[in-house]
Amino acid sequence: MPYDDLRSFLETLDKEGQLLRVTDEVMPEPDIAAAANAAPRLGDAAPALYFDNVKGFTDARIAMNVHGSWANHALALGLPKETGTKEQVAEFIRRWADFPVRPEWRDNPPWGRNTMDGDEVDIFQVLPLIRLNDGDGGFYIDKAAVVSRDPGDPQNFGNQNVGIYRIEVKGKRRLALQPVPMHDIAQHLRKAEERGEDLPVALALGNDPVISIVASTPMKYDENEYEMAGALRGAPAPITRAPLTGLPVPWGSEVVVEGVIEGRRREIEGPFGEFTGHYSGGRKMTVIRIDRISYRTDPVFEHLYLGMPWTEIDHLMGPNTCVPIYQQLKQDFPEVQAVNAMFTHGLVVIVSTKKRYGGFAKAVGTRVLTTPHGLGYAATVIVVDEDVDPFNLPQVMWALSTKMNPAGDLIRIPNMPVMELAPQADAPGILDKLIIDATTPTGSDRRGNFSNQVKDLPETGEWLTRLQQLAARR
Amino acid sequence: MAASSICPRCAHETVETVFTSPVPGVWDVLQCRQCLYMWRTTEPARRTRRDLYPERFRMTPEDIAAAIEVPLVPPLLDPR
Repeated sequence: MPYDDLRSFLETLDKEGQLLRVTDEVMPEPDIAAAANAAPRLGDAAPALYFDNVKGFTDARIAMNVHGSWANHALALGLPKETGTKEQVAEFIRRWADFPVRPEWRDNPPWGRNTMDGDEVDIFQVLPLIRLNDGDGGFYIDKAAVVSRDPGDPQNFGNQNVGIYRIEVKGKRRLALQPVPMHDIAQHLRKAEERGEDLPVALALGNDPVISIVASTPMKYDENEYEMAGALRGAPAPITRAPLTGLPVPWGSEVVVEGVIEGRRREIEGPFGEFTGHYSGGRKMTVIRIDRISYRTDPVFEHLYLGMPWTEIDHLMGPNTCVPIYQQLKQDFPEVQAVNAMFTHGLVVIVSTKKRYGGFAKAVGTRVLTTPHGLGYAATVIVVDEDVDPFNLPQVMWALSTKMNPAGDLIRIPNMPVMELAPQADAPGILDKLIIDATTPTGSDRRGNFSNQVKDLPETGEWLTRLQQLAARR
Repeated sequence: MAASSICPRCAHETVETVFTSPVPGVWDVLQCRQCLYMWRTTEPARRTRRDLYPERFRMTPEDIAAAIEVPLVPPLLDPR
């Protein structure tokens, strides 16, 4: 059953034993971020955290780690919480086939009940803002769905964008936002700034769990995130018009912030501990002027801790990074079996494929680099045989251990684009990329000394099921 | 609530109170007018005291002046 808002999903997490309520009084810092840093280490069924007793606040409600485990990610997709990672990715792929599903326009959003306008705007009065990491320059908002439209084509629904970007709170009605050049909002901003205009934006905070997943999915420029949400939910995504900007925003959000990115203005921002597990910042970034905040009565502030992987963000944008790369490879190469791009948003990509002829795996690996997401990520691509499961890292390590000969299996391509936050690049934005062919040579590629590979016994699958059933009955 | 007189990060002396705790007297949120660092007075000392603020996170006026633009402001379109 699809969720129309965060609250109904939190209820489900609670019922499923996946929401841990911290009722003791905690300090805003460092307690909330430290707890959210620790939570994913509880394992594949780590819970979301809910704080409502925060020192100095009278009515703070903060939800952390909502997507921060495979169990919670499965529940977000309406799957049983025991569903494995690979199965979640496979189901994601199946549902993607239903894209696009037109959204459902609804009236009277619950966040329309309370508003602040113009000079009365004070974001501190609406959100219990907190710092995440020691070196962060301030309090960040890092799980909001940011909505913008193409200033050159404002009526085109497909070109409207919903994305998650890092946002620093700079004052009562002033924010900073980071548009990475590879992301759609950067294209919108460039067009506005070339015209000498501001770019209207709406920030929707505290959303149904599928909105956060699609907002962090690397989709094509003309693909609409709400239409993808409909496909993933199995029902149209409920949306409505934001009152000031007219931008389409989720109907069920907790808080909707509207304003503009002020054209042609930059100001010191950061640093911020990023999804790469490294700080980035001390750069001059865009400035948002908030003109209106609309919010539910007693809003829940949904927030995300990120730091040294794995944290919530790796779960949130793990499966959704695998799927588009898989789809794009599969179009040209039906031999591709599976793609695991869950490491740091796809800075490492593992592909399993059948081989048409000698050298084929290298061609597939090279193709990853020219997928839209691979252009800015995919610093290292590992290609494995079709019987190696790319989600099973011990198997991938076995392939690297035995199939890869550095003499002929490493392809290094110099000076390729990479997103500017990649810490290993000498000059931000440019990096040599590496294809590792860890497949068994085939056809006219006669390298190696492979003799015969040991295969699983034909009866193993049957026995696996039987052992699982026996173990479950114990 | 006594405000820290200098910015822990850049040592600038103009610091502004941005927000105060809804429960009176528990904490303030302060902001440096130079580097825009923002902090809550109840945060650990490593984030609020200049003498304990880690060297690797400090910022100078030169750092701010040299900071690159992300993204670069594009040229204006030809007005024709």
